[in-house]
Amino acid sequence: MAIYKRGYQRYDGPLAPHAARLGVLVRDAWRRATAPRLVTALLAASCLWPLLCAFFIYIANHAELWSGLDRNFASILSIDHQFMLTFMKVQAVFSVILAALAGPGLVSPDLANQALPLYFSRPISRLDYVLARLAALAGLLSLVTWAPGLLLFIMQASMAPPGWLAANWRLGAGLVAGFWLWILLVALAAVASSAWVRWRLIAGALVLGYFFVLSGIGAVVNGIFRVEWGDLINPIRAAYGVWCALLGAPMPQGLTLPMSLGALAMMGALLALIVERRLRPVEVVS
Amino acid sequence: MSSQEIVFENVSRFYGDVLGVNHVDLRIRPGLTSIVGPNGAGKSTLMNLMCGLIFPDRGEIRVLGVSPRDTERLMRITGYATQFDAAPPWATGFEFVLSGLLLFGYSSALAERLAWAALERVGMTEAARRKVSSYSKGMRQRIRLAQAIAHEPQVLVLDEPLNGLDPVVRAETLALFRQLAAEGRHIVLSSHVLHEVDSISDCVVLLANGSVIAEGNIRDVREEIRERPSQFLLRCADPPRLAALLFERAPVAEARVLHEDGALLVLTRDRRAFSRVLTELAAGGITIESVVPADENVNAVYEYLIGGSA
Repeated sequence: MAIYKRGYQRYDGPLAPHAARLGVLVRDAWRRATAPRLVTALLAASCLWPLLCAFFIYIANHAELWSGLDRNFASILSIDHQFMLTFMKVQAVFSVILAALAGPGLVSPDLANQALPLYFSRPISRLDYVLARLAALAGLLSLVTWAPGLLLFIMQASMAPPGWLAANWRLGAGLVAGFWLWILLVALAAVASSAWVRWRLIAGALVLGYFFVLSGIGAVVNGIFRVEWGDLINPIRAAYGVWCALLGAPMPQGLTLPMSLGALAMMGALLALIVERRLRPVEVVS
Repeated sequence: MSSQEIVFENVSRFYGDVLGVNHVDLRIRPGLTSIVGPNGAGKSTLMNLMCGLIFPDRGEIRVLGVSPRDTERLMRITGYATQFDAAPPWATGFEFVLSGLLLFGYSSALAERLAWAALERVGMTEAARRKVSSYSKGMRQRIRLAQAIAHEPQVLVLDEPLNGLDPVVRAETLALFRQLAAEGRHIVLSSHVLHEVDSISDCVVLLANGSVIAEGNIRDVREEIRERPSQFLLRCADPPRLAALLFERAPVAEARVLHEDGALLVLTRDRRAFSRVLTELAAGGITIESVVPADENVNAVYEYLIGGSA
């Protein structure tokens, strides 16, 4: 009998669909992202500002609590686009720090362990691998961005006088859309940094550098050359421009919506290109 | 193309300017096949091509009739273990094997059963709940092997799986390879430890500079290069006299009396004539204690083929 006729019986039953396998990757990425204790601590710390904002909304909707105070106080307690933009700016900073802490653990260890061939010798693609990591990061960043933001909006809508929601629905929609755009950029930056360097600490520093150092450089360019195109390399300013447009706030000086969107699209494409170039199943040493 | 073979047809793969493999024609049948070659010969490239991790620039590959571009089907029939210590140190051995199975789409219950079965096969059940970071090098090799065989693949591709194994575990691992091959699977492995692979392999593929320079059973490979002289190590009472007689009667290219007592190394271009003369000499009263082919191992063949040891 030919040797291959003495076959063994392998499992030939049904297998989970592709989406379920992707779920395995996402759960694994989530475990890794939330493993550092600092991530838990930062998640807790990032609740402080939303709680303060919730308190602010409560006060703003209970006039009897500040009836004896200065009349100007009423204008300060307005829940409008400025309030939402301030909330978004603070939470955006938390989200970047969170991504810098959680993101590097998602890809760097696989590169350091040369484990990518093990992933890609399973029926999953590079796109699956990246999507799973982006999804895990998006889930994590949602906890400090649009989720508390939406809760605040709902809280305000439920406490405000009738008609407020109809007049200000754009605040809620803009907040969610703006934060999702931000999450995509931050998660992409974290995955790209993690794919770029094998050392987690440096990858984390790269994430922070991408947002804060580039912002500084953009501002310096604008200041020194008396130009406005420095904003094109400033991810925070570009995102802020889009947020303003989404929330119906006046655009910052020197920024237009197409300019902001174009800058963000360019940055996203560049980060995606880094991920594409770095995450290969086989590393070639020439 | 046969659905029972791994077939490479004129396959070339380059990494930019770097040569991976070039014009490779190869048919790998069920059993244990060893891919042997020096560093940079193209062993890993060949294996990565087989596993669908990379694709050829030219030529065609079929793994049991499946194109490597059909990754969904290919990866269900292939198991792969890299040469790197790729198991995540923060996971336990069991978690490592289990997560691989879940990525294949097995249900949790079935994946757990298969994971334990694989761990048992490689003798890692007792250490399965320990973190990979606490494993010895040999244990890490075995856990990599477990994740490669856990989904019961028909084709098992193992990149240097014997590295770092102590002699006992190495012998056990080789026995496991033989067992897997005897079940009708394709076991394709690469190794730097040449004397091990030639003794266990059904077929040896010799690579150099990205090209297959010989393929087949070690003895067959040796036969293929008959124009090269064969080496025999003879043990006898009087090597200088035997050497003189052989030069007189047989087609001997070279005879060298070795330092060790009674050893004579002979090179001949005609094995049959040489054997006949040896028989005649023995029948005529010359004491010849043993005749051993000295070049039927991979190292010797390699020396012949590329002019240097692998």
